[in-house]
Formats: sequence, C-alpha cells, structure tokens
Amino acid sequence: MGTMRIDGHDIPFQENDNILKAALAANIEIPYFCYHAALGSLGACRLCAVEVASVDPTQSPRVVMSCLEFARDGLNVSVSAAAARQVRQRVIEFLMINHPHDCPVCDEGGECHLQEMTVACGPPYRRYRGRKRTFTNQYLGPLVHHEMNRCITCYRCTRFYQDYALGDDLGSMRLRNEVYFGRFQDGPLTSPFAGNLVEICPTGVFTDAVFRQHFARVWDLETAPSICPHCSVGCNTLPGARDGTLRRMRNRFHPELNRWFICDRGRYGHQYSEHIDRPLTPRVRDEKVSYREALAAAAEQIKAARDKTSGLGSTREDLESNAMLQTLLNKLSGRFATFSDPQIETATVAAVAALQSSGGAPSLAEIEQADAALVVGDLTAHAPMMDLALRQAYRAGAKLAILHSGPSLLARFAATTLTVPPQEISAHLLRLHEQATAAPTAPTAPAPSNKHEKELADIAVYLTAAQRPVLIGVSETMAVPEIAAMVQLATALGSRAKLAYALPGANTYGTILLTPTTSTTAMLEAIESGQIQTLIVIGNDPLGDARLGTRWRAARRHLSTLIVLDCVATATAEAADILLPVAAWAERGGTFVNYEGRAQGFAPVFQRTEPLPNTVEVLADLAHCLELALPDAAAVLSNLFPGYQAPLPGTLGSALSAPPLTMQTGTTIGPASSAHPGHWQVALASWYGDDPLASYAPALMELAPAAAALIHPTAAFKEGIEDKKQVRLRGPAGTVVLPVQLNNDVAAGTIALSRVTLTQLGVGHGDLLELEHIS
Amino acid sequence: MNKQTPTLLVRLWHSLWTTLRHAWAKRETVSYPEIKRPLPGRWRGRIVLTRDPDGEERCVACYLCSAVCPVDCIHLQATQRDDGRRYPETFRIDFSRCIFCGFCEEACPTLAIQLTPDFEMCERSHDELVYEKEQLLIEGQGKHPGYNFYRHAGVAISGKAIGEGIGDTPPVDHDTNLP
Ligand code: SF4
Ligand code: SF4
Ligand code: SF4
Ligand code: FES
Repeated sequence: MGTMRIDGHDIPFQENDNILKAALAANIEIPYFCYHAALGSLGACRLCAVEVASVDPTQSPRVVMSCLEFARDGLNVSVSAAAARQVRQRVIEFLMINHPHDCPVCDEGGECHLQEMTVACGPPYRRYRGRKRTFTNQYLGPLVHHEMNRCITCYRCTRFYQDYALGDDLGSMRLRNEVYFGRFQDGPLTSPFAGNLVEICPTGVFTDAVFRQHFARVWDLETAPSICPHCSVGCNTLPGARDGTLRRMRNRFHPELNRWFICDRGRYGHQYSEHIDRPLTPRVRDEKVSYREALAAAAEQIKAARDKTSGLGSTREDLESNAMLQTLLNKLSGRFATFSDPQIETATVAAVAALQSSGGAPSLAEIEQADAALVVGDLTAHAPMMDLALRQAYRAGAKLAILHSGPSLLARFAATTLTVPPQEISAHLLRLHEQATAAPTAPTAPAPSNKHEKELADIAVYLTAAQRPVLIGVSETMAVPEIAAMVQLATALGSRAKLAYALPGANTYGTILLTPTTSTTAMLEAIESGQIQTLIVIGNDPLGDARLGTRWRAARRHLSTLIVLDCVATATAEAADILLPVAAWAERGGTFVNYEGRAQGFAPVFQRTEPLPNTVEVLADLAHCLELALPDAAAVLSNLFPGYQAPLPGTLGSALSAPPLTMQTGTTIGPASSAHPGHWQVALASWYGDDPLASYAPALMELAPAAAALIHPTAAFKEGIEDKKQVRLRGPAGTVVLPVQLNNDVAAGTIALSRVTLTQLGVGHGDLLELEHIS
Repeated sequence: MNKQTPTLLVRLWHSLWTTLRHAWAKRETVSYPEIKRPLPGRWRGRIVLTRDPDGEERCVACYLCSAVCPVDCIHLQATQRDDGRRYPETFRIDFSRCIFCGFCEEACPTLAIQLTPDFEMCERSHDELVYEKEQLLIEGQGKHPGYNFYRHAGVAISGKAIGEGIGDTPPVDHDTNLP
C-alpha cells in the first residue's frame, strides 16, 4: 500500500504492484503490449517506457519499463516525458518494420492493440524502405486462424497457452528477429482453451476462424452482456451479432468467475443457433404453419386433454421459462418435471442439496487458490473453466487427486490418479473418508481393491494437511452414494474444505429448485399408464436421452400430442406433433443459475430476421389461448423465491436464496453387484465440445474424437482384444460396431464410449454392456 | 419634386442599362440535357467498384468505406475465396442517401471504391437507387491504374505465396535454428 505520483496525480498502489498495473487500475493509460493481468510482466515489448525522477535531485531522471518496476511510495513517474515518448515511438517504429501492410484483410482491425498503440505513440509514416521478413502460416484447426507475419513477439500466446493453460503444442521457435510462434507441425490445437489466443494476441496473428467465415468489423456488431449457455460454470460472455445472425463470442470479465478467459465450447458452441437445420417455422404434424395457427392447435389439444397435460422443463432453459411452465401446469393441474433421466435428477438433487448445506461452492477464483483438490470424474468435459482454475492451483503447487473411470485431460497434472470402474468410485470415496478421519467407521463399505490403498492414503494425507482443500465432483457421472460420500469427506475435512459440483446444463441449479422430487420417474410412468395425453417439452430431449431414450420413445406412442418448444433440431423436436421454434439464448433475455447458486441475467443481443418468440412468450400466449390468467415471469419468480430480484445483465449476479433441498438416498447407479464375466461397465468418454447445444456447432464438432470403444490395454489383453479391431457392443437400444482404441486412462473392466454411442446403445455411465469379438 | 428624385432616376437607369447589356451578352447556360457540360475528372458522382490490373475485384471487404460514410449508406458482407482472397459477398450503396462526399474513396485502402463524374441517377422509386454489387462493379481500374493491394499485403493468395509480395524476403524456415 502506498501512493506514487504519475504526471502530477497521486496514485494509490497495492503491495507488489508494478507501476503499470497501478496506473492501469487508476485509469492512467501507459501504452503496453506484453503485460497482461493474468500473465504478469515479461519486459518483451519495451513499449511501457516511462520516466522516473531520481530521488537524488542532482541525478537526471531515467527511463524504465513500467511493467518491470515496482511501485514505491513517493515515486515520481512521468508518462508524458519527452524521453519516454521517444522510446515508445522508436519501439513502435521498429515493430512496424516487418509489419505486413494487411490491416484491410486482417480480422483484428478495429480492435487491434497494435493499431491503437501505433496511432497513439508511433510515427505517422514508415521510414524504413528495406525488405520485410516474412513467415509462412500454419493450419491450426477449425477454430483459430494463423497469420504469423503480424507478430510483434510479445510472447503472450505462449505464456497463455503453455504457462497458464498448460498446453504443450504451441510454442516459440527460432531466434533473433525471426522468432516464430506456432506448432511443431500443422494441425489442430489440442488445448480446450486454444480460442483464448484470439483475444490474448494483441495483433492479428491468431484470429477467430469461425467468425472469419462470416466476418464483420467490431464496430458493426451488436453486443450485450450475456452468460455462456453451455455449462453450469456460467462464464460471462459478450456475443456479437450482425444482420440478424450471431457471429462470434468473446469473454466478458467477471472477477470471481471466468475473469479474462472462456473455454472453446463457450467461444465456438454458439454456432448452434446458426445451424442449418435449426427449426425456424412452426409446424403442426408435417405442415408448416404460422405461429398463431400452431398456438391455436396446441391450445386445442391441451383443452381436449385438460388435466391430462404435463410438461417437461429443461436444465438448459432459463429460470423464467421453467418457472412459467411450472405455473402453467399448476393451473392445468398437470405434472411438471425437468429431467429425462431420473438418475441424473436424483444425483442433481443430491449435489445441490450438498452445495446448499455445505455453505456454498467456491468460485473459480477460490478454486485457483486451493492447495489441494480432489476431482471425481472428467471435469474438463463438463466444466472446462473449473479445469482451468484447477490448473492455476496446480501451477501454484496444489496437489491434485483425480478419481475417474474414463479419459480426463486433467489427469496429466494430478499428483495421484485413481482410475477405477464407475461402480467402484463410491467405495473408494468411502475408504478415502476413513483414511482421512483415520478412524474406520463404516465397515459396511466394501474395501476397494487393495492396490489403491497407497494412493488413497496419499490423497488423504494431502487433503487433510491442506489449508484450502477443494472437492469437485461431476454430478452427471455420479450417483447419490458418491455425492453423499464426497459430502462426508468434506465434512471430515472441516470448514476449510470447499465442495463443488459441475452440473449438467447452464441452469441446472435453478431448474432443480423448481423440480418436484422424483418427478421424472413419476411422469414417465404416468405417460406409460396413459394418464398423460399431451406433453409440453421445452428445450429438452427425452427421446434422445442416452439411458432412457428407448423408454421415452415407446412412451411417446401413448401420447396423443407432443408439443415441443426448442431452438435446436433434437430427436424430440423432430418427433413433435406441434413444434414451436423459440429464440435461442442470445436472442432473448433471461436468468441462469450457475453451480454456485449465483443467478446471473443475460440480455437480448439481437433480433433475428425471422423474429422468434421466446419460451416465456409462447407459454404466456398459450395460456391466453386457454383463457388462463398467467402472471408474468417476474411475479412467478418472486413468488417462488422470497425476495427474488432479477439479476441485471452485466452485474456480478446474486445468490439465489431457496429453501434447502433434501438428498434422496437409496438410488444406486446400475446393479449393485460388480461386473460379472462378459459384462463391461460403461464410462462416459465425454470431451469438452460435447453438450446438447454445442454439439450443433459445426466447427467445434470437427474436433470431436472419432467414435471408438476405449479400453485399457491390460483389460484388452486379458480379453484378447487388439487395438483398432472392430468389436460389437450390445445395449438395450441397439447394437453398435466400433473399432477398439487402447487407452491407459480407462479403468479395468470398463469401456469408455462417447455420448453419441451411449445413446445408440441405450446405456448410461455405470451401466453394464456386452462386448462381442468380430472374427 | 422631391430632393431625392434625381438620384432615384439615376439608379433606375443604371438597372435598366445592366439588364439591357445582359440581353446581348454571351450565354453561360447550356441547354441540358441536349448539351452536356464537360465535368472535371475529380467530380464526385456515381460510385463504382473497380478491378485490379489482373482483372480481379479490388475490394477486399474491409468495411472502412461503410464505417466512414457519414450517412451510413454502404452495406456489405465479407467472405473469402478458397485461395484466400477476401471479397464482398454483397455490396450495396443506397444512392438516395449518398451525399457524394467522397469519404469512402479516401478511406479505401485498395483504391477499389471510386467516385465518377456521372450524376444522372434519376429514378422513379427509392428502391431503384439502391445499387447492388453487380451495378457497382466495373470492368476497369478507374482513375488509379496499376495498383494491386495483394502485391503489397502480407497475406498469401493463389499466385502469390508468402514472401513473394513487393518488398518481401522469402519466408523464414522456422524448423531450423541456423542463421
Ligand atoms: S503471436 Fe501474437 S501473442 Fe504471440 S508473440 Fe506474436 S503478437 Fe504476441
Ligand atoms: S466453462 Fe462452461 S460456462 Fe464457461 S465458457 Fe466453457 S462452457 Fe461456457
Ligand atoms: S474501403 Fe475499399 S476495400 Fe474496403 S470495403 Fe470499402 S471498397 Fe472494399
Ligand atoms: S508491457 Fe512492459 S515491456 Fe511489454
């Protein structure tokens, strides 16, 4: 703490701040390139020159790099001094010597740091008349475009990619004025955070390859503060739209959540709303109709079915839509559920109940501060930015322990990795709890295979020794016993331990607060027994559910009318009798509640050329057609959550206070016995681009791993299965023939399969499966 | 007689004389449209999009003209060819709004957009004054022959790889550390 003077203004600074950081915090502009709040100072660009007056008045002032000089009390700094200005001008002039003269075709133009700094500090004309050094470019995959001539050697890209995000396939090569930033060979960048290069590079070396295909300048883009709709982290984003289409996504700073970065799913998943198959016209059976006609048809069916009408909400729909559907169904005395898989419903209830009782989940900023962490499941695929936060903790020396069944990108950084079949996770957690409390309490827990005792002891040691331990579970691949075991462990570690769950869907936390207990099973059974005739589905895809898709498809035949409100062409939307296309998230406003229970508002960004109503509007119109008086969403929500105030878009969000949920125990994942011969346990091999919405984003999907049956080499050897050989998998919904891929990150006796394959087979994470050799 | 009468008469006579003199003076007006006056080459009239010396579209869809336009009458959408050339997929100028200030021409980094001395653009409806790219793009280079943006810019296009531009050195081989 202290005060220094910059050009006659008194500027406060924090301990260990450099001059540049303090000046930027006080809104004093010192030109710079290589400094970045997340990456720190490097001194590579030499643009941040300032003049510092000497303490001894007989000595002349000197020019220093403000990013490398600590702020000191009483320091007298001048940004405008002639000497400093001259240094900055020369730096720019040198940087521009080899610059390729291509701003008109450069996508960075208009928001280019180099352009701005050149205009601010540089000479207006180029004096250099010599020849320019050039670089060839590389193909870096479908997401990031490379144009190396524009580089100014600030090293931000490698500092982000290698040092911050711990990627290993982008680096600097060569020497002198010929330093090259790229991959060893052409090929897609492998990091799930590669898209941040677009924002971190101050020039146009790395630009958004998706935006490039439909490029518009930043000044033409319509933007509004938004929230990422692709997972429960709820990163803050800034979408850009033009001419009625959504063009790109940028990060928006949130001090406790994503801060300067977002993951590639968040950056490129938005393309789902421009998908070629997106439903845009209402449909009744096979006929395209107007909105009014579809509404009238829906109202007629609901009137006919009356109290035999039910509704299925969704974790990817905002709080308002779910609440409105619930209210509408209350008026119709129908059932309301939100999940298509009861196991995921109970697991989510358990996870949210655990979060509520544990005093709240840690924010990403808090996860970064952890000194030990236990992760259960593949966190990268389900909450990529939580993974990035853990990578920061790892960089600061935290010990990570990973307990998982299928491949996980985070495992590389783990001090201890335990790869166990899905059905053994809870036993391991219980054993870990025993070890951590050092008092074996529950002898009922089956002792896990002894070979992991040592690892479990290690984890117990560093979790108990940690000052700020964090436990994170992926609720989609967990069942209630596992969630309960994590809670137990957290309780044993005391109040310093923080507990978090990555939930499946942007608004899962908010949705589960509205969901009646065991409503999914009840609804499915009611449909099967003919108690429900008309089903309204908003933003959900029960017919495409991995585990229960077959049962839902069979149940669908008992329905006389299926009414679907959605913005993507899911299996359910395709099977709908009445389809009402609705606005995607960027085309309307709403509220998502993230994994911490933080309600965050998002604003409508733009209007499509073919204006689509949002879900709340459709439900209100429907109620109007049914001659029901439906209150507006704000009233509904303040009724449901006492003291609820809609969080304004662009603010930090507010905690949603809701009555505590209770964990329902007694549900297990699959059969309780372990795998019997010939039966394999299934693990979900997810990847970061795979969520119900982002899987409609074409560029992202180019990176999807090829479908394969991932098996551990030892297990494969025991069964006589060879790498790349075709095997036949039999599940309740069908048979799939896939090549085997040997993978060390898969547990013994387990087959890891992609979500698409699981749906084809009709099995879920933790279920059992037959595998047949094909000779 | 008023004291001022003589001065008034003088003034009246003066005006009559001026009028009479002009009746026989040389005519400045021409009978447009039968007779057209020659306009200077820099006259700012109807806008065209020109081509480079290779006959390719000069416009690279950089959006600078549409940004600088004070009445916001230029609308375009960028796209690119497989060979890396950027070009406008659509390019539209609303001449009913255009004030022919020439800012777009000044802003254009590729000398693509140019104002011509043609101002005769009377139409019966507004729509017909909205010119699409087909109506704007001409076959020639306009008033700036010879300039080819892609020969100077660092990006590669077909027929010009990286390092083959004017003033470029061949690309650095980044796979070796030898000088
Ligand atoms: S590529 Fe961009 S971020 Fe990397 S060193 Fe060059 S200018 Fe900096
Ligand atoms: S971590 Fe989740 S919320 Fe954040 S950008 Fe990625 S998908 Fe979106
Ligand atoms: S300024 Fe020139 S190159 Fe740029 S969009 Fe306009 S006409 Fe095309
Ligand atoms: S910001 Fe200080 S040297 Fe680059």
